[in-house]
Amino acid sequence: MWVVLPVAGISNLLPLLVGVGAIVGFMSGLFGVSGGFLLTPILMMIGIPPTVAAASDSCQIIAGSSSGTAAHFRLGNVDVKLGTVLLLGGLTGGWIGVRVIKVLRVLGAADLTITATYVVMLGLVGGYMFIESLGSLRRGALVPKSHPSTPGQSLLSRLPFQADFPRSQVRHSVLLPFFLSGIVGILAAIMGVGGGFIMVPMMVYLLGMPMHVAVGTSLFQILFTCAGVTYMQATANHTVDLVLALLLACGSTIGVQVGARVGRRLRGDQIKILLASVVLLVMLKMAAGLLIAPAIHLTPVKGH
Amino acid sequence: MCRNIYIALTAALIISGLWLTSASAVAQQRRVRVTPEIVRMGAFYGGATVRVEGVTGPDEKIIVVVRGPKVTEVFNQSGRVGPIWVNSGKVTISEVPSLFLVFSSEPVNACLTRAAIDQFGLDLTALQKLMHIECKTRDCGRVAKDYFFYKKMQGSYSLVNGGFRMSQPDPGAVPCATYTLEFVLPRCAAPGQYQVSVLECRGGGVVVSSDVPLQVMEVGFPALIAWLASQHASSYGILSVVVALLAGFGIDFVAARLFKRKVAGH
Repeated sequence: MWVVLPVAGISNLLPLLVGVGAIVGFMSGLFGVSGGFLLTPILMMIGIPPTVAAASDSCQIIAGSSSGTAAHFRLGNVDVKLGTVLLLGGLTGGWIGVRVIKVLRVLGAADLTITATYVVMLGLVGGYMFIESLGSLRRGALVPKSHPSTPGQSLLSRLPFQADFPRSQVRHSVLLPFFLSGIVGILAAIMGVGGGFIMVPMMVYLLGMPMHVAVGTSLFQILFTCAGVTYMQATANHTVDLVLALLLACGSTIGVQVGARVGRRLRGDQIKILLASVVLLVMLKMAAGLLIAPAIHLTPVKGH
Repeated sequence: MCRNIYIALTAALIISGLWLTSASAVAQQRRVRVTPEIVRMGAFYGGATVRVEGVTGPDEKIIVVVRGPKVTEVFNQSGRVGPIWVNSGKVTISEVPSLFLVFSSEPVNACLTRAAIDQFGLDLTALQKLMHIECKTRDCGRVAKDYFFYKKMQGSYSLVNGGFRMSQPDPGAVPCATYTLEFVLPRCAAPGQYQVSVLECRGGGVVVSSDVPLQVMEVGFPALIAWLASQHASSYGILSVVVALLAGFGIDFVAARLFKRKVAGH
């Protein structure tokens, strides 16, 4: 069954679009990532113009993440207080990132610097997460881990604006999540992806949040970021295809529900190792893209 | 004497009248017909079959070209820096049709001379001479080749030899043959004004050339959405966010009830 995508000006298979949305939604619900890094290339592969793919992707993420946020909220996995701080930091970082990329492009070789940095970072985050989760799984989930206080931690505890985040069971200076999400925002803006892949590990390892709360809070933050991006894309570029977004959303909202429930049945370590595997796969794909000669040397420009 | 002149003039008039009528009949028969003339993209449109038919001389070869409006496209070009492949810069390609389909009863280079092919822009070599490439990278030489490869993969460019149904002329009738071509307009053909050109070729040149417009337009719900997106961008942006939110919370509401019921059922 075919369906016309009015803004893209082409038609595509309806079950294919819903199916793609469902796969990305499942990942979103399970890992708390937006899935934009995966969805936009898939849409381009099935013939959607790059500008429309990128913009409509943001719109469908709103549906997927609102559904996921609601599901996680009921399960007690959304830390609204910490999520708001992270959102503000992410938006600030995104604003800075847009300017950084302009400077890098003027300097030349920006793409090389950015892609290589991203590959290294994904490799480090994914690798560390994978090894750490594997160790935890081998030790067994019932063995509690001791975290001796380090000089760095005592320094962080002396920062101003200390606040309790009861849902996440942590106490931090507001500046710390703001600063860290700002860095993720910079990277997300530079790479043109949601940043969930970096944000979730950062919440778990640097802020000490439980994995399930990190996933729910990440979705909460993504919801607001994508709402802003969708509105801006619709007004500035006229590239948001509502029909495409809704079809993807039909799949993703169902997928995200299933993902959230599957995630609930898994232990934090198991989710971590799965996410680490996906992060490492993305890193390998990007590394292969850097080293293997492409069949065509031209790729359509995405409309960010 | 006057009578003879009168008879001669009358005969000449009758003969020329008959010749003109016959010529007009052939001209009428040569008319190209494209059906449908307007392709309507409704909500569930999945491509359309277009039929081109007409009458030609018995010895003439037919080439049908479908061209989309001229477009400008921007690409990133990959380049090698040491062992690594990265974007080496932007390439802008203009003066190229968005769609380029060529159907010929015999290979194009068997129908026409190189000069005629170039004049009518009937193959990729001819198209390359017309296209404009703005490139500041080190590897500009392969841009056209990569672009054509990309368009072929996309389904926007295609050169097909054959596909025509030709009928033999009736013995004793006006010497002519009818041709029919049916092709599927690719789904990637966006709304716009397309042109179907029919070239009748003989002896390496084009004898008759006819152009028929073919319009692709969105109708109904897709047309409404496209109009909202382009004419009322701000309202459309808010609508997109609200609809996406409602869809997300709506599905969550349904899923929550569904899962609760299942749990209760257990």
